[in-house]
Amino acid sequence: MKKYIPHLLLVFLLTTLISCDDPIDVELTEAPPRLVIEASLDWEKGTAGNNQTIKLSTSTPFFDNNSDTSVTGASVKVTNNDTNAEFFFTDQNDGTYTTNSFVPILNNSYTLEVAYNGEVYNATETMMPITGINEVFQSLEGGFDEELLDVNITYDDPQELGNHYMIRLQEVGDLFPIIETRSDEFTNGNVQDEFFEKDEDDDNPNNQFDPGDSVNIKLFGISERYYNFITLLIEQYDSAGNPFATTPAEIRGNCINVTNEDNYAFGYFRVTEFDQVDYTFQ
Amino acid sequence: MKHRLVCLFLLMTTLIFAQEKFSVSGTIKDQKNGETLLGATVYLKGTTNGAVTNEYGFYSLTAIEGNYTLVVSFLGYETVTKEITLNVDQTVNFEITEASTSLETVVIEAEESERVSIRKPQMSVSKLNAATIKQMPVVLGEVDVLKSIQLLPGVTNSGEGTAGFNVRGGAADQNLVLLDEAIIYNTSHFFGFFSVFNADAIKDIKLYKGDIPAKYGGRISSVLDVRQKDGNSKNLEINGGVGLISSRLAVEGPMFNKKGSFLVAGRSSYAHLFMPLIEEIADDKISFYDLNLKTNYEINENNRIYLSGYFGRDIFDISQFIKNRYGNTSANLRWNHVFNEKLFSNLSFIYSEYDYEVILDFIKLDWISDIKNFNLKYDLRYYANDKLKLDFGVSGITYDFNPGIVRPSDPSSTINFRKLDQKRAFEGAAYISAEHKLSDKLTAQYGVRLSMFSRLGGQALSNYANNQPVVYNDEIGIYEEGEEIGTTEYDKNESIKTFANVEPRLGLSYQLNDESSIKASYTRSVQYVHLLSNTISVTPLDVWAPSGEYIDPQKSNQYAAGYYRNFNDKKYSLEVEAYYKNVDNRIDYIDGSNLIGTNNIETEILNGEARAYGLEVLFRKDKGKFKGWIAYTLSKSEQRALGGIAGGPGINRGNWYNTPFDRTHDISITGSYDFSEKWKFSANFAYQTGRPVTFPNGQYEYDNLSIASFNQRNANRLPDYHRLDLSATYTPTKNKNRRWQSEWVFGLYNAYARRNAASVSFTQDFNTGINEARRLSIFGSVIPSITYNFKF
Repeated sequence: MKKYIPHLLLVFLLTTLISCDDPIDVELTEAPPRLVIEASLDWEKGTAGNNQTIKLSTSTPFFDNNSDTSVTGASVKVTNNDTNAEFFFTDQNDGTYTTNSFVPILNNSYTLEVAYNGEVYNATETMMPITGINEVFQSLEGGFDEELLDVNITYDDPQELGNHYMIRLQEVGDLFPIIETRSDEFTNGNVQDEFFEKDEDDDNPNNQFDPGDSVNIKLFGISERYYNFITLLIEQYDSAGNPFATTPAEIRGNCINVTNEDNYAFGYFRVTEFDQVDYTFQ
Repeated sequence: MKHRLVCLFLLMTTLIFAQEKFSVSGTIKDQKNGETLLGATVYLKGTTNGAVTNEYGFYSLTAIEGNYTLVVSFLGYETVTKEITLNVDQTVNFEITEASTSLETVVIEAEESERVSIRKPQMSVSKLNAATIKQMPVVLGEVDVLKSIQLLPGVTNSGEGTAGFNVRGGAADQNLVLLDEAIIYNTSHFFGFFSVFNADAIKDIKLYKGDIPAKYGGRISSVLDVRQKDGNSKNLEINGGVGLISSRLAVEGPMFNKKGSFLVAGRSSYAHLFMPLIEEIADDKISFYDLNLKTNYEINENNRIYLSGYFGRDIFDISQFIKNRYGNTSANLRWNHVFNEKLFSNLSFIYSEYDYEVILDFIKLDWISDIKNFNLKYDLRYYANDKLKLDFGVSGITYDFNPGIVRPSDPSSTINFRKLDQKRAFEGAAYISAEHKLSDKLTAQYGVRLSMFSRLGGQALSNYANNQPVVYNDEIGIYEEGEEIGTTEYDKNESIKTFANVEPRLGLSYQLNDESSIKASYTRSVQYVHLLSNTISVTPLDVWAPSGEYIDPQKSNQYAAGYYRNFNDKKYSLEVEAYYKNVDNRIDYIDGSNLIGTNNIETEILNGEARAYGLEVLFRKDKGKFKGWIAYTLSKSEQRALGGIAGGPGINRGNWYNTPFDRTHDISITGSYDFSEKWKFSANFAYQTGRPVTFPNGQYEYDNLSIASFNQRNANRLPDYHRLDLSATYTPTKNKNRRWQSEWVFGLYNAYARRNAASVSFTQDFNTGINEARRLSIFGSVIPSITYNFKF
């Protein structure tokens, strides 16, 4: 909710004024590369959750985002701190590290350990549960524009305050997902709903949802710390430079470099339960 | 402090033993419409004994018994003289006439006629009157007080479409903006494109950038004192105009048998009238309006009552999406009382409010927030003798802060009702200051303001582990919310925390010769309320917060020195000022702070500090067919916040960094040329170093998205900003000798179509996945405008 408001202000300005937007050349400083840990151990409701993948890569200069940055030769291990079970991830030599023996247990604490280039990184998280998606439906009403199709999901928020959610929508054929986060701060204990609507786009006139389009929607239960991390990350991704956005800042995840504190890693170690649904517009 | 009181006492006693002296006092008005004139000069010919009229047109002079010639002068008006015999205290009122060519003469006035301004210790002040402001070229033809002051040295803002203004590297919330003494919390319409001040209702504005007189307090950067017109007390007068964005109508005239007058001025945008005609936006509504009211009644020569009011609103309804309304409301009842020739007083009772409501239709949320204050103040001026004038008074302000109430906007909403803590506070002050002619060449203005602020109870406050509302997470290297360990309940009659401060003010002026002087000043000021804003520019939805348990008052020291000179028979003048200021307890926001809807703001902030210094040059030509000025500012403005009690290195690793208001170079040139009786041309040129911003220094992939990484705050800059505006005013000659007067104003804003960057965004193309930098220009082309103004 909170992050909507500044965005809306900008929408006003753009839609109501004679503004223009064009690409320009900007010279940027280039920070040395850092390790990026994308360790997302997500357990789909109703599955065993044994197969998990962790991705390692490095950061690059801003305008150089198409080169291969995969990191190989690291050793990756996850420990369940409640049971002391250890899960070793195998280097696939393409930047991914996999296991097929992971045992997810709700509300247990897990620690990630990555050893790379003589330095050791670690992070600890708790596996957060999710209630599950109640229903999925499409509508014209609701959403921003009554003439555009939107897709809705509903889910229950438990009675106690402090639940956090991430909802990730991927349309089949799209390059990028749409990610939203929710906290129950203003809606505690209620049935929650979430809608996604896509606007027409100058470069892509068929961007909006049409009958026949398929989407995948995932609902994750996430920790408050991950909520803070991913909310800021998405906000900065969507609005870097927007005059009503907050001043952008380095986003620090939970991966610590225990060998050399300053050489911390980007990314995050998350452990979540999720529910998903596929939907095709009628 | 004690020492200063002794000095004052000594001064008072010398008065008693002075020679036989008498006073002459009175009011100076415009002959045509009865408006009292602020800043007119009255002096005794052949002496340096002079006075300047105050906000209510009142003056008082004291001299040794004798025959004198009283001279009244005011730029743009005929000079009037009158022989008087000063052997008894007396009242002499004047009504003076505008000089015949005056329609175009007034460009910018010094505080008063040059003769006294060279001598007067007040520095760092600029005054503009409505006529000047109206003739500057402006965007879309909307006359704008705030845009005009940005052409003065030391005043900037963050570009088109951003609210507020910045004075000498200070933040927007550090400006005390007063409309007929009432605090105005939000100065902009339409998110910053237009100011809330309707030029038809305004008499003049005064901006103190430093050397702030002791009678003002509560903000540390500047005072913008905007005075509404009293209303024509001689004839009914109607002014109006039709522009591209808004239309205006002002009616003023005599009342109460010419014992008083009234003014009603309205302004409204009217695009919303046409919006239903366009199908796509038929259900939307975007508009703003203002209503200014003023009336006064002269009970007798020594008593006058004023009532003024302002109401403004912005409305944004985007159907199915959002409804947003916000605006200021203010009212002021004043009583002017002249005790005798030497003692003038004014009692004011003032109310101000700023409120907003946002309804987000798509998530069915209704959000309201407001700030209200009542202010009672009593100001007196004692014209002790020709060498000493004293200002003294008291003020009390009560504040009510309502940071937010969240409600479901319809029954199907999933939103729960929630009210953030209401906050209450009281701010009290007493001041005394003297303008003292120490010798023929040296004049001083010195005084002190005693201020106190009490955050009042009636609520619970959170307590934190180790008394740390914010804690540095050493492992990850970020600041996080502290751990709440319970609350303390404060009774309504209890004070949560009280602050008291002594704010000395000092100004000195040394006259080098008839045409030049040097001045120096020191101002200490304290600010107890803070606008919480962590966005790049101020938004109308930012919330004010009082000082208290976890937020300390901002304290500033400003030192300034200047050189002032008139040239060539006062055709030209030059002002050069240098300043340095430091600010303690400037709130700074931790990375990723979230202010909207946050109850415990203390968990998102650190107490920082700021410093700014600069050199300002203003060269102007006030007379002749061609008038205008060149303003240049070289400056620096920085801030930092160390970890303090929260631990850790601080924000931005504890390093000093540029504030968003830092502009290394700022040049403004404005000029007007009277070509003929029919045609008049004006132009503005502005150049500024680009605004400090934070650019990425790398990217990485996360969940398939290219995420930018950022490093030091505000270490980069937008491209330099520059812009040229032109305007032409056509006055039909048939205007002469008839009651209906009219003019056409044609404008070109951004004449050479510069695409100034309002922001540069670093984004990933949705279709190709390639990263790019995109520039957003609010006005990417020339913006023409046409306005028709009339008066009868």
